[in-house]
Amino acid sequence: MQAEIAGEIISALKEAGVDFVATLTEANLHELVMALAEEKGVHHVPVSREEEGIGICAGAFLGGKRPAMVMMNAGFLLTANALATVCIHPGIPVLMLIGHSGGMGEENPSHGTVGMLTEPVLQALHIMYEKVGRREEIRRAILDAQTLARSSRRPVAILLNKEALR
Amino acid sequence: MKRFDCLKAIAPYFRDELVVTNLGGVRHEWYALRPHPGNYHLQNLGLTSSVGLGLALALPHRRVVIFDGDGSLLLNLGSLATIANFSPKNLVHVVFDNGCYESSRGAPTATAGVTDLAAVAKGAGFAHTATATEIEDFEENFLKAFRSSELHFIVAKVEPGMGDVPPAPLDSQENKYTFVRYIEKTEKVSILGSPQSRGSDLKER
Repeated sequence: MQAEIAGEIISALKEAGVDFVATLTEANLHELVMALAEEKGVHHVPVSREEEGIGICAGAFLGGKRPAMVMMNAGFLLTANALATVCIHPGIPVLMLIGHSGGMGEENPSHGTVGMLTEPVLQALHIMYEKVGRREEIRRAILDAQTLARSSRRPVAILLNKEALR
Repeated sequence: MKRFDCLKAIAPYFRDELVVTNLGGVRHEWYALRPHPGNYHLQNLGLTSSVGLGLALALPHRRVVIFDGDGSLLLNLGSLATIANFSPKNLVHVVFDNGCYESSRGAPTATAGVTDLAAVAKGAGFAHTATATEIEDFEENFLKAFRSSELHFIVAKVEPGMGDVPPAPLDSQENKYTFVRYIEKTEKVSILGSPQSRGSDLKER
C-alpha cells in the first residue's frame, strides 16, 4: 500500500469517529498498520489472530470506543463465528477494512481461492460491503460504512482492492 | 473444589466491577450470585478473554474480571499473548478449568492431559499467574489480583458440575442494551447514539 493511501484511510477513519483499531498485518497492509501504530488519536491493538480482533473490537465498543478491524481476506475467513455470535447476534457494530487479495489481476497463485470466497462469505453473513481502491473514493466509503455500522448496529466491511493495496 | 463455591466466595467483594462470562454454566451461576448491569454474558465459546481485553483497554479506570473456561481459552490461546503484551492493570483473567467440555457432554480437554494453562499464560508473558485447587487458596489469589493494579491470571482447578441455580433470564440483545446503558450512565458517554437519525449521530462525533 502506498503511504498516501494509508494516510487517507487513517484520516477518514478519524473523521468517521473511529478511535480504536485492531490490526493483523500483511505485506500489502504494512504501511497502514505501521502508520496506525504511530497515530496518536487511535488506540492501536495488534492481534495474534483475526477472530480475536473481532472480540477485542466488540469489547471496546461495549466500553464506549468506536472500533475498526484491519485485516486481509484470508484472516476475514477466520472470523465468521466471531462475527455471528459476538457482533451480529447481540447487535454490535464493527467497521472492517479488508485487504482483498485474489481479485482480478492477482498474480499470486495461492490467493485466488481466498479472493473467490471472500464476497460469498460476506454475503452469507448478511454483511453489507463496498469494494474500493482509488484514493478519491476511500473517504466517502469509510464514512458511509461507519454510518451504516452505527445505525444498523452490525458489522460493515470495506474491501480494499488491488489498486488500494499495491 | 466446585466453580459455584469459588464464585460464592468472591461475589461479596464485587461493587461496580465489570464482568465478562464465558458461554456455559458459569453465566447462570454468576447471574444468580450477582445480578448486575455490569455483567456481560458472552454467547460465544473462545472470545471471552478478547472481549474482556477490549473492555479493559476501553475503560482503563474500571476493573474488568473475565470468567473464562479451559475449553474456551484453548480455542484462543493467542489472546494470552495479546493480553500480556498490553498487560492492562485493570484486568483479572480467571479460568475455571474442569478439564472437560462440560456443556458438550463432558469429553476431556487438553488440560485433562498434559496442558497447564497457567504455564501457557506465563510463557505468553503474564507476570502474575497462579493455580488454585482449594477454595481458600482461590479466594486469596483472587483478592490479591482484584486489589492489585497489575494484570493477573488465575486458574481454578474445579470438578465438573453446575450449581443449583435457575437459568439466567437475559438474552444477548437485552444484555447488550442493559450493559451499554449502564456504561453510558456510569461513564457519562454516548455509545449507541440516537436510534433514529443520522443527523444526531453525526453531531455526537
